[in-house]
Amino acid sequence: MRRVSGLAIARIALLWAAAIFVLFPMIWIALASFKTPSQLNDPNLVFFAPTFASWENVLSSGILDAAGRSAIVGLTTVLISVVVGSSGAYVIAKYRAGGTATRFGMLAAQVLPPAVLVFPFLTMAYALRLNDTLVPVIFAHLSFVLPVVTWFLIGFFEAVPRSLEEQARVDGFSRFGAFWRVVLPQVLPGLGAAAIFGFTLSWNDMFYGLILAPGKAAILPVAIAGFNTFRGVQLGSMSAAILIAVIPVVIASFFIQRKLVQGISGGAVKS
Amino acid sequence: MRFKYGMLAPLIAVFVAVVGFPLLYALYLSFTDYKLTDRGAPDIVGIANYASTFTNASFWEAFGVTALYVVVAVGLELVIGLAIALSLQKQKWARDVTRSMLLAPMFITPIAVGLTFRFLLNDQIGAIPELLRGIGINYDFFGPGRALFTLAFIDVWQWTPFMVLLLLAGLESIPKQPLEAARVDGGGPWYIFRRITLPLLAPVLVVAILLRALDALKVFEYVYATTRGGPGTETQTIQYFTYQTGIQFFRLGEASSMAFVVLAVVLTVIVVAFRRLERNRSA
Repeated sequence: MRRVSGLAIARIALLWAAAIFVLFPMIWIALASFKTPSQLNDPNLVFFAPTFASWENVLSSGILDAAGRSAIVGLTTVLISVVVGSSGAYVIAKYRAGGTATRFGMLAAQVLPPAVLVFPFLTMAYALRLNDTLVPVIFAHLSFVLPVVTWFLIGFFEAVPRSLEEQARVDGFSRFGAFWRVVLPQVLPGLGAAAIFGFTLSWNDMFYGLILAPGKAAILPVAIAGFNTFRGVQLGSMSAAILIAVIPVVIASFFIQRKLVQGISGGAVKS
Repeated sequence: MRFKYGMLAPLIAVFVAVVGFPLLYALYLSFTDYKLTDRGAPDIVGIANYASTFTNASFWEAFGVTALYVVVAVGLELVIGLAIALSLQKQKWARDVTRSMLLAPMFITPIAVGLTFRFLLNDQIGAIPELLRGIGINYDFFGPGRALFTLAFIDVWQWTPFMVLLLLAGLESIPKQPLEAARVDGGGPWYIFRRITLPLLAPVLVVAILLRALDALKVFEYVYATTRGGPGTETQTIQYFTYQTGIQFFRLGEASSMAFVVLAVVLTVIVVAFRRLERNRSA
């Protein structure tokens, strides 16, 4: 009995330590966004009169425009991925369309180092005079969001029982009608999770944005990195910008965590 | 038939446009002397880029740096992640809140994580070195011989949650009967963990390690945010090195050949891993 209670204490201590470890950096950044530049140089400062100067500075620096561009890229990417991904994933899951090759291709694409694809995107963007616009960024983001979303959806469609479509066909639905009106509503929670996850992947990616649109069309992560190099380090503004980027996706993530495992494992693990 | 391929066609079309074609184009680039500053068509130089990549000491150094980074980061994530997953599995109080909070780091954009820790671990104004000084430890996180481990530590902060997420799901899908049988037979917690939980969890462990390792190989943002490859070239990872060759030195052909060498190594690792997995399953 004693050993078990020792384990229980270790378990609770570990979780508390992990919680502090996770929360401390976030809280510190939140505090930093309300400090003055001289206060930022004092690493012991926890209690102070908050100033909103950093927030005013960052909000007038065009960070919201960058966030808007990131949202456009994310939404466009996810919309295309969900539309072509759901119809494709459905026939891959239920009609074995494209054999194992398509399925494998979706998985293999997630392994490609971004450095392989980024240079073709860059030279094509130059050739079409689309460099430093959102178009090549959307293309590049599709290259990793589409395979992930499709991979998620294949798993979700496979979890839908066959009898459901057979019944729909008996009831007089066309093949497409059975997909659109009967099966798709069944996977809607999974579809939503895949869409949110795809959006966070796009929203969080810096590598493609940095290379394909480093200037006037900079997306949010690139704009945040700019606080580090442009006119020295502006720690307060940088902290505020980080919070702007982080808060929406962390909130969104709370809604999809249950579906995420099932999606990542391609439906192999259910939760 | 028409329905089946009609539904599949848009997916294939977009996939070819954003992955297939760029991949082939990259392969072509890797055989040319293309520079971003050039006008007109680049010359085909055959395997010259690959030859110079294979003989480039800096490239292999970056490879070694990345390998060490992946081993340290993923190793720690596995051990810590497993411990946290086991603890969370038994957690009853404030269950959903605890889980959501502990998983949050994996949803943050890596550049923000990198910049946060650059600030937090800074020798002069960082809170963590200051705390350590309070207990008499003087540690420069970005000093020589330490910077790479600091980057791995940042990776651990952000990606242990991913391990936890997968391992927790794996733990919860383990059948209960063998665990109870062992407990009735008087097996201690350590015995049950070693002999029953761990073997049953093995498939999920392998997938989790593989996914994390493949992702850690691509590390770029932490390097870009903190060390920019320094001190010296100690933290020059493969992705950062390729980025520099291609973007700062404009040598796209050579950078493409590097990316393909990395891809070849990655694919080899995956094939070997899956072979072993299959063999274990059939054995």
